[in-house]
This record gives sequence, C-alpha cells and structure tokens, in this order.
Amino acid sequence: MTAPPGSLLAAENLRKAYGPTTALDGAEFSIHPGEIVAVMGPSGSGKSTLLHCLAGIVPPDSGSITYDGRELSAMNDAQRSALRRSEFGFVFQFGQLVPELTCVENVALPLRLNGTSRKEAERAALAWMERLEVDDLRGKRPGEVSGGQGQRVAVARALVTGPRVLFADEPTGALDSLNGERVMELLTEAARSANAAVVLVTHEARVAAYSDREIVVRDGKSRDMERIV
Amino acid sequence: MRAGWGHLPARAQSRAWGRARDLGLGAKFAFTGGREGWIRVLLTAVGVGLGVALLLLTTALPSALAVRHHRDQARLDYTYDQHPRPKGDDTLLIADIDTTYQDKDVRGRLVEPEGPRAPIAPGLTEYPAPGEMVVSPALKKLLDSGSGKLLRERLPYKVVGTIGETGLIGSQELAYYAGAKGLAPRMNGWQVGRINAFGDPHPSTERADPVLILLVLVVFVVLLMPVAVFIAAAVRFGGERRDRRLAALRLVGSDSRMTRRIAAGEALAGSLLGLVFGTGFFLLGRELAGSVEILGISVFPSYLNPTPALAALVALAVPAAAVLVTLFALRGVVIEPLGVVRTAKPARRRLWWRLLLPLGGLAMLYPMIGQGRTNGNFNQYLVIGGVMLLLVGVTALLPWIVETVVARLGAGSVAWQLAVRRLQLSSGTAARMVNGIAVAVAGAIALQMLFAGVQGDYTKQSGNDLTRAQMQVDVPRGVALAPAAGKFAATKGVRKATALASADLGDEPWNTENGPAASAQMTIGDCAALRQVASLSSCRDGDIFVVSGADYDTDTVKLAKPGRRLYVSTSYDAGKGPQITWTVPRALKPARSVKDPAGAMRGGFLLTPAAVPSRIAGVVSGTVYLSLDESVPNVHEYVRNTAAAVDPMANASLWASTEQSKKFTSIRTGLYVGATCVLALIGASLLVSQLEQLRERRKLLSSLVAFGTRRRTLGLSVLWQTAIPIALGLLLASGVGLALGAVLLKMTDTTVAVDWVSVMTMAGIGAGVVLTVTLLSLPPLMRLMRPEGLRTE
Repeated sequence: MTAPPGSLLAAENLRKAYGPTTALDGAEFSIHPGEIVAVMGPSGSGKSTLLHCLAGIVPPDSGSITYDGRELSAMNDAQRSALRRSEFGFVFQFGQLVPELTCVENVALPLRLNGTSRKEAERAALAWMERLEVDDLRGKRPGEVSGGQGQRVAVARALVTGPRVLFADEPTGALDSLNGERVMELLTEAARSANAAVVLVTHEARVAAYSDREIVVRDGKSRDMERIV
Repeated sequence: MRAGWGHLPARAQSRAWGRARDLGLGAKFAFTGGREGWIRVLLTAVGVGLGVALLLLTTALPSALAVRHHRDQARLDYTYDQHPRPKGDDTLLIADIDTTYQDKDVRGRLVEPEGPRAPIAPGLTEYPAPGEMVVSPALKKLLDSGSGKLLRERLPYKVVGTIGETGLIGSQELAYYAGAKGLAPRMNGWQVGRINAFGDPHPSTERADPVLILLVLVVFVVLLMPVAVFIAAAVRFGGERRDRRLAALRLVGSDSRMTRRIAAGEALAGSLLGLVFGTGFFLLGRELAGSVEILGISVFPSYLNPTPALAALVALAVPAAAVLVTLFALRGVVIEPLGVVRTAKPARRRLWWRLLLPLGGLAMLYPMIGQGRTNGNFNQYLVIGGVMLLLVGVTALLPWIVETVVARLGAGSVAWQLAVRRLQLSSGTAARMVNGIAVAVAGAIALQMLFAGVQGDYTKQSGNDLTRAQMQVDVPRGVALAPAAGKFAATKGVRKATALASADLGDEPWNTENGPAASAQMTIGDCAALRQVASLSSCRDGDIFVVSGADYDTDTVKLAKPGRRLYVSTSYDAGKGPQITWTVPRALKPARSVKDPAGAMRGGFLLTPAAVPSRIAGVVSGTVYLSLDESVPNVHEYVRNTAAAVDPMANASLWASTEQSKKFTSIRTGLYVGATCVLALIGASLLVSQLEQLRERRKLLSSLVAFGTRRRTLGLSVLWQTAIPIALGLLLASGVGLALGAVLLKMTDTTVAVDWVSVMTMAGIGAGVVLTVTLLSLPPLMRLMRPEGLRTE
C-alpha cells in the first residue's frame, strides 16, 4: 500500500512494542497539508506512541512513515532532529516549557535553535504571543503563569517556526473546560491561518470536534472514523 | 518514674502523638513513592551513607593509630646499648637488616635464639632455622610474583612460615625474620644486639610540638567539613518532587506545620537509611582496607573500630542535621493546597550575616597570632572553631556570590542562555553542588600554605653531594672492602665506586674503664678515594697523611706525633676485641680536609692500602660511595642486591638532598590520604547530585529533544551550569584559603608567603573533579534525553 495521493505525512503498517507491551500493531495514518486530524482512543491504546513515531521521535519496529515523499526511517537522528526543528511543532499535555526561561524566551527557543539571532527570534516570538493573547506574559517564567496561559505559550512556541505539521499531545488534558476550549480555538485558528497540518492526540470528543477528521486507535490498530461510521 | 509520655498532660500528650504521627507519615512517604520514590530514597541514602562511612572511618582513626602504635612498640628490639647483655638461655641475638624495594620499606631481622627461653617476636610461634625465614603475607605475595624477582635474589632464604597479624603494623607491610648463626661476634651496639624481651624498655612521652598539633587539628577540620557539607546536600535530593507531594497533602487538609513535619519525617527516614548504608559501606570498606595501601600506609580491618562515643555522636548528629537542613530549606517554599508549589519570590540573599561567619572565624584565631611554638599549645577550641567558621563562611558566601554574579550575566548562545537562566532561577542548588569542593579547596590551600611555611623547620639539608654519589653502602667490620668495592663497580648501572674504610684511634686502649682521652679517625683508601675526603698535594700507595681543617677535630694534632703508639677500636664490646696498635710513622704527609661525598669533613689520618698493617685491615668497617647511571631501570635494586650478597648486614642507602622530620612527613601523608578519600567522596556525591537533578528534568529534556534541540546544546548547557558556579566557588575558595593560610602562618610566627603553584594546583584539582563528574554525567544525560522520557503510560 502506498501513501494516499497528496498526503503530507503518512504511515503504513506501523508496529511498535515496549518490551512485552504492544503499543502499535499495524497502525496506519495520513494527513494532508492544512488538515486537522484527531487521533482518539482510550488511555494506553497507542495514540501517543503513534504521534511519537509520526514525528520521528521514536522509531517504529516496522512499517513505513513518509513525510513529503521522504522516508523517515532512511534519515539519521541528526536529520530527523533538523526536521523536527524546522518542519514540525509540538504541544504536550503539560506544555513542557523550560522553567528557567521567560515565556518569550521559551517561544523564541526553537528559532534560536535554528540559528536565528536572539533579537529577531524574540520579535517573531512576541508576534505569535500577541496572536495567542499571551504577550503580556513575555517577561514571566512558566512557574508564574496559569496552566491555560502556559499552554497558549506552548502553542505559540510550536507555531513560531512556521511548521508544516503541528503535533499536539493532549494539549488540553491539564486544563479546565473553559481554558481548554480557548486553547483549542486559538490553536486551530493559528494553525489554519499558517496552513499547518495538525495531528491532535486526545481522548476527549469535544476536543476532537475541532478536527476535520478523526482516527481511532485501539489495541495498537487505527481506524478512520468515517469507515467505522 | 512513669515510662514514655504517661506523665504529660493529655493535651500535650496528644500533640506529641500528632507530631510523631506526622513524622511517621513522612517516613512512610519516603518508601511508598513507587519506583521513583525508591530511587530518590536510595540516592539520598547512598549520599548520606558515603558521608557516614567517612565519618565512621574518622571515628575509627584514633583507635587504628593507637593499635598501630602499640604493635610497633611491642615488637621493638632495642639493640642500642652501651654494654652488651650477657648471653643466657633467655637471650636472642637480633640484627636489623631493613631494606628498601621499589621505594617500599622492607623490615628485616636476622635472629639467633641463644636459649630455649629466648623471647619470641610478636606474630611468630618459633624462629626459623638458619637459611630459612618467616615472612609477612604481603612479602610472600610479592616474592611469589614476577615483580618480586629482584627481591627474591636479595633474600635467599627458604620461606617456612608467615608472620601473624600481631607482628605487623599493616596488612601490606613487607617484613621477614630470617634465621642466622654466628651473630655474637658482630654485635656492634646499633645494628646487631642481644635482647631478652621485645618492646620499649624505657617508654617515654615526649612533649608534642604545638605546630604539629595545630597541623593535625586543621587537617581534621579541613577534611571533615566537606563531608558535613555533602551530607547536608544529600538530604535535599529529590526536593522538587517532595514539594509536589506536600502540596497534594495540603489539598487534603494538612496545615503548613504538618507538612513541614512530614517533610522532616521523610528526611529522617532517608538519613536513617543512610546511616544503615553508611554502616554497610564502612564495614565493606573496612574489609577492603585490608587489601589496599595508600601512600605506604596499610591497616588491618581489625584496626578500624569506631570509638563508641564518636560513633554514637555520628548516629545522632546525622539524622538531626537532616531534619534541620530540610526545615531550613523549606523556609522559602510556599506550599499551597491547589496542587501547585510556588517558590516564594526568593528574598534577595543578604550579605551581612554571611560575612559574620568568616569574620567570626578570624576573630577566634586572632588572639593566637604571633604565638609561635615557644608559647605553649594553641587553644584547640579556638583553632577548631575559627577554622570551621572560616570554612562554613565559604558555604554561606558562595550562594550570595553565585546569585549576585549570575544575575548580571547576559544572554549568549542557547546553551549559555539555558545555563544562565537555570542558575538565575535556582542559584542555591548550584551553589550547594559546589560547596563541598569549595570548602575542600579553601582548606587545602590554607594547609598547603601552612605546610610550605613551616616545612623549613622540619626539613634539613642532608649535606650529601648528589653530583658525586647517589648511593652509599656501609660495609660492616670484618668484610674485605676491596673485593666488595669491585663487586659494586661491576654492578649494572654503577659508574664509579669509591671505597673508604675507617676505624677509630685512641691514645689509650679502648678496653679501659674510661677509654681513650683523645681520639681521631683513621681513613683507608686508594689515592683516588682519599682525594674524595682531602686535598692531597701528591699521593702514592704507601703514603700516610695527617689531615687538618676538619670540623670539631682537636685531637689529631695531639696524636700526630711520630712514634706515638695509638690503639685501634676493634670491637663494640671493648673488653673482648683484640688489642691492636698502630704507631704513627715518621713520614707523615700533610693534607687538608675537604667535604667527603656525604658532606662530612674528616680529620685524623689517611692511609693508602700499602701503608695499612694486615692486622688492622680485618677490623675496619667500610663505606662505598656509588655514582650511578640513573637511567638504568632498577639500578638501586641491583646495588641493594650486591650489598646483600657482600654481607646481609651491609646497609645500602639512597641519597636525597633533604631529610624531613618523620612526624611532619606522616601528618602530610595523612593529609594526602584524607584528601584523596574526601575528594573521591565529593566527586561521587557530585555525580549522585547531578544525576538526581537530571532525573528530575527528564521529561523536559526529552521534550526539548523532541522539538529538535541538539544533544550537544543540552550537554554544553549542563557543562556551563557546573562551570560557572565552580569558577566562582574556586575563586572564593582561593580567597578564603589564602586568608586562612596567612592567619595560620602568623599564628606559628612564620613569614607569610603564597605558593601560587600550590594554589593553582589545588584549584585545578577541584576543577578537575567537577569536570570529571560532568563528563561522567554526560552518558546518563544522553540516555535521559531519549524520547522514552515523554511516555506517561
């Protein structure tokens, strides 16, 4: 089987085990540019592992992942790291902001890792922080802001490099519903305006509702919701 | 009296129970945090355990030194005696034939029991027969190994047994007793003697040198302070995770006092487990101690028994310190019940009280400035208190300095920025990490200054002229010198052998009650050898010279009267030696004394071989000075082997330009041994602490790598995080060390001089430890950056 035509990122027959535990057992996935796909499933079903494999963080035991026509398994660690720095963005459940850096420094960090000067990186960071309505937090450290604010800073950090794919792993998992909704609104708006594809891992239907398409992962296997329906 | 809390009022009783319950709950939390919790407790216990083990070792040192001393005293065989003891069935003839092998001392004795009741040396059950020997286990091992080949040639005796522990002062000591025959005629009052008991017949207690006591006190404080600092750091491992747990407890209704008690309970549990680990490490180390030797010192495991009172003090002080440190650390933490722990906006560190500590230390030492060694002992309490306060001052000042400096550091590369921001956020953690090293370096610099300053008082020039000879062999009376000199000249690596024989001449026979009133030395050698001791205008075999210009020689002029009969000293036991005379000849040539290779100015008469009557040749003792090709491997061992082949009692010694007081040297050695242990401990503790910090940040590190951060960037960031505080710490340590060193030198009334090479060396060693630890922590850092860290299920 080959990647669906026009897809930006696609995975076929992915298998991954952690010791005796099978996390992925023939999972498949594809996403088109600008598309938002929710990956749903119960805890322990393999959603996050699928995301980690798609992002080139964890190599699958078998199967193939192609990004923009390039096979991820053919890339070495440095090439995959460069890809994550320049083409991908990440939002995790707890933001994973660097506690010692200020919010603006956190957002500017991916740009700085790409070699952008500090001033320029912080200028771009501030622009994204304005779009995500957290520019007033620029000088604060992550420990001094609320969970929702921190998550919006994390979204700004994920989008600052202009990624083609944004990976969001339970981005609202640690937030109350009001804050969660606001974060999702801002995240999807920002992603659509930047034409970034979003792989959204969640187990909440109301979060998945922001997506264009849903995939369910269960026991390491993936199914397109449309097919189930 | 009622037991327990029964006598307390009910409210107080319930309050006490409540506190105990909180402490117990904390202790329970310490062990019930799942795998993470166990790892944290284990790290704390290992850290505290290492410190406790070193403290226990210190408490065992007094008894270890005492046992060593007692064993050394018990096997003393005093051969120094003016009048030889008569032979009996309870006497033993014993000869001291110590040697050196590959820079290690080998204690050797020739023994010849003269009767069935001859005293048995400690560690022996019976004496070996002639041609046999009993050896220490370490010597046996060496002789059986390839590296003992040359020593085996030197000790041609058959090994028939081993010396028991009671006869040795260290597990790695090289010692042997060899059976001999015919020692009686060779008794000389110093090397060969007759004894009827082992042990010091006249034990004396000499007054200890105040400066040496001062050195010992400072060495102890300097070595133990970093251990205390380290224990204080170890009980704070895992602080962040603990704070989160405490927040959860606040949520379910614990008040802030309860949470502090629970935290104290956790620390208590960790430190108690640390005590258990420390005891285990100590017992393990105690067993291992039997098989190692550090700087020539080894011990038997049985030596290392902690003094009960001191061990009890450690057992009480460590848990108490753990609780106090934890409570102190929680001062700046506001634990809120909403599951979030926010560090209270840290108050800017104040300088004034931090300065009070070193100033207080200086104030305690000030009254002793200029006291010197002639004004009695230094006040031990003031010395210990002053040095401690100065060194504690380092730990108090360092956090302030780190905070102040890092607050001013600007942003640079990503690695630098991550490091600087981290330091700005938690400068205290960084300062704590390097506190131990800083204290050790400050103490070491001060001690190095003190040692360098006073070593002149304990070191004297040997006077040996190393350009003329590098070894000397004393050949006993009765051994033909010329053939012996030939053997030395033929030894591999020997360039030149200069042989000189000598004997004493007196105006009266040596066997009278008062002995001779005037005496002079007779030196025998060929012309080339005699020119080593005197300036000769001309010399031919058969010439005899009278020497002038020697130090402390007033009798030669009186005795150098042609025709005068002089008496040759032939034996230690004056009454038994033959009466040999020598008549001063008419043809005496003048000679002027010059320093011989050993640095002595000889007086008396110089005789060339043809001028020596045959009756004299057999009673003189000889000295062979050897010029060596030091590039020949094992040249010293070849010389010693030749000496042993010439005569087992021939004594070969290696020359050095200086000689140092034995006590001074052993204190210095003690410092090096202690410093090695402390640096190893600090290195290990730094590594544990570094790993603990990295583990706490595992998820963050993984996520940074996930979005493409280069591992090199994170590695560099860790390096900067360590390098910045250590640079500041070493700078402060150098300042405090120099100040303390200067004060200590002033106390001993010694001119203050800074040995910058030592300062740089000490700082370099400190930096080296930190660099090593950082390098060792890189592999775990790489592992922690793996994406598995992102997994939550």
